[in-house]
Amino acid sequence: MAFRPRRALAVFWKDFLDLRKNVGLLVSMAVLPAVMVLVPIVVVWTYVNTPNRADLRSVAQFYDPTLPLGASAARFLIDKTLTDWFGLFLVMPVFVPILIASQSVAGEKERRTLEPLLASPVTAAELVAGKSLAALVPAVVITWVAFIIFCVGVDIVAWPMVQGPLMPNALWTFGVLVIAPLFAFFGNGVAVLISARVSEARMAQQISALVVLPLVGMVGGQVAGVLKAGLGFYALQGAVVLVLDVVLLFASIRLLDRERLVSRWG
Amino acid sequence: MSGIDVRGLGKRFGERVAVEGLTFHVRPGEVFGLLGPNGAGKTTTVRMLTGLLTPSEGEAVVWGHRADRDGEGLRKVVGLLTEQPGLYERLTARENLRFFMKLHELDESKAWPRTQHYLERFGLGGREEEPVGGFSKGMRQKLAIVRTLVHDPRVIFLDEPTSGLDPESARTVRDAVAELASEGRTIVLCSHNLSEVERLCERVAVVKRRLLLMGPVRELRRSGQSLDVRVDGEAERFRNALTSLPFAPNVLAEGMRLRVMLEDEAHAPDVLACLVGAGARVHSAVPAQRPLEEVYLDLLREEGA
Ligand SMILES: Nc1ncnc2c1ncn2[C@@H]1O[C@H](COP(=O)(O)OP(=O)(O)OP(=O)(O)O)[C@@H](O)[C@H]1O
Ligand SMILES: [Mg+2]
Repeated sequence: MAFRPRRALAVFWKDFLDLRKNVGLLVSMAVLPAVMVLVPIVVVWTYVNTPNRADLRSVAQFYDPTLPLGASAARFLIDKTLTDWFGLFLVMPVFVPILIASQSVAGEKERRTLEPLLASPVTAAELVAGKSLAALVPAVVITWVAFIIFCVGVDIVAWPMVQGPLMPNALWTFGVLVIAPLFAFFGNGVAVLISARVSEARMAQQISALVVLPLVGMVGGQVAGVLKAGLGFYALQGAVVLVLDVVLLFASIRLLDRERLVSRWG
Repeated sequence: MSGIDVRGLGKRFGERVAVEGLTFHVRPGEVFGLLGPNGAGKTTTVRMLTGLLTPSEGEAVVWGHRADRDGEGLRKVVGLLTEQPGLYERLTARENLRFFMKLHELDESKAWPRTQHYLERFGLGGREEEPVGGFSKGMRQKLAIVRTLVHDPRVIFLDEPTSGLDPESARTVRDAVAELASEGRTIVLCSHNLSEVERLCERVAVVKRRLLLMGPVRELRRSGQSLDVRVDGEAERFRNALTSLPFAPNVLAEGMRLRVMLEDEAHAPDVLACLVGAGARVHSAVPAQRPLEEVYLDLLREEGA
């Protein structure tokens, strides 16, 4: 049972080709990044254009009662928004691989293409590797492209107030380069695992998508002022997810075993 | 060791026994039929022989590879046409085939000419760049067969290769199977279509969860002798007399004709004597071979009883 990279790459090649031709999936993949990028830009733009509104100060003081009198409340809230938004931004690298991997694993069952595939010499580990790569590469690329657009957008709308580039900052750069891929791996692992057990792509997507709830919950906590997010907080999340990634990887290879996949049909 | 050796093979899914005690040998270069009704365990058997399912009991050795232990080695030398074509609809025919070439780590420049030959053979030449989603059922089935051949397998398992095809496509597929056999490949053909098995296979195993009968197709035929008798008047009148004979033959009556199934040709004079004794005026009595289909159906009926 040697691992043959060529066979894993074959699976990657096929899935990637299939994804490129799947317009419906591409559209649903594009919606989330668009929202993730546009919403914070609009929020920052609002703060920049109404810096002197009185209530901004009370909002800012809700989060930080020690806010100095001379400091700009709008600027404080912009920084706070950018920090918290990263938590939501992480939903994207989790969610995109869920969309792709559900299609590519449960979708193969649904369309009965899995049996011929399993009748080839490909091993479970090669399948997991190829399919994961096909979900991770687009997810990470989309995240990075969205990040670049996000930075440019935020800097343009914030320029009049900040008079310099606000983004990328250390948190986001570290987050997008290191934490986001770990989260993508996590979303993919969950989707592969669930897909191995259910027989329809849609069901796999819906169940897997539940894992984004804790993420959204934490951001909720940040907005409510309960959780204080920062570089350390996100790094801790990343470390936890890294451990989960390893567990998921081994579990998927076990679950993608032929006997299980074939005999769970019908 | 070549060929396929199956000994005491069985598979249970929980409480349900899908296959049990299957024992047979397929010689290299032979076309072997697995014949059985729906749910007989043909697909389950083929899945065990291609390492997709682990047998609950017994063992199978295919072309020197233990099916339960050396699945990877096994799958390099066998080709499986699954019950469903299972093609990637958004990909073109060529991309579908290339994927399997890559999975088999083939040198594509060498594998293509051979594959192209089969594409032409099946009338798919010139359609390579079209997405499979636009193919008809027959075209898909043919493409799926070409896909099982990309790695030039020595052993081919075909699970109902003509099901759902129109007569012409079914014929193309049958001709191709015969051609593959003439290339010296070992073929196991699953089917519930008798005439197909009869036409293509040298030997056949009739299965219904377990092995009911196995032998060369001609021998199977021999076990089905019958006597066609023409009498005066309504033949139906003599049916009871015949079925009360000690060897209780099956009798079909139609108009002035009687078809009496015999297990032994030596019973023919007794049948005639019985008819004459019952007052029949016999015009003619001709020994005939029962169609294989009746032999088969009888076999299944006995099994069901
Ligand atoms: N994965 C499975 N789980 C549970 N039972 C199964 C499974 N696969 C097959 N069976 C059962 O095993 C028996 C044999 O099924 P199989 O598909 O092998 O029959 P078959 O001869 O191929 O039938 P058909 O002509 O309809 O294709 C059936 O009773 C079927 O319900
Ligand atoms: Mg079947």
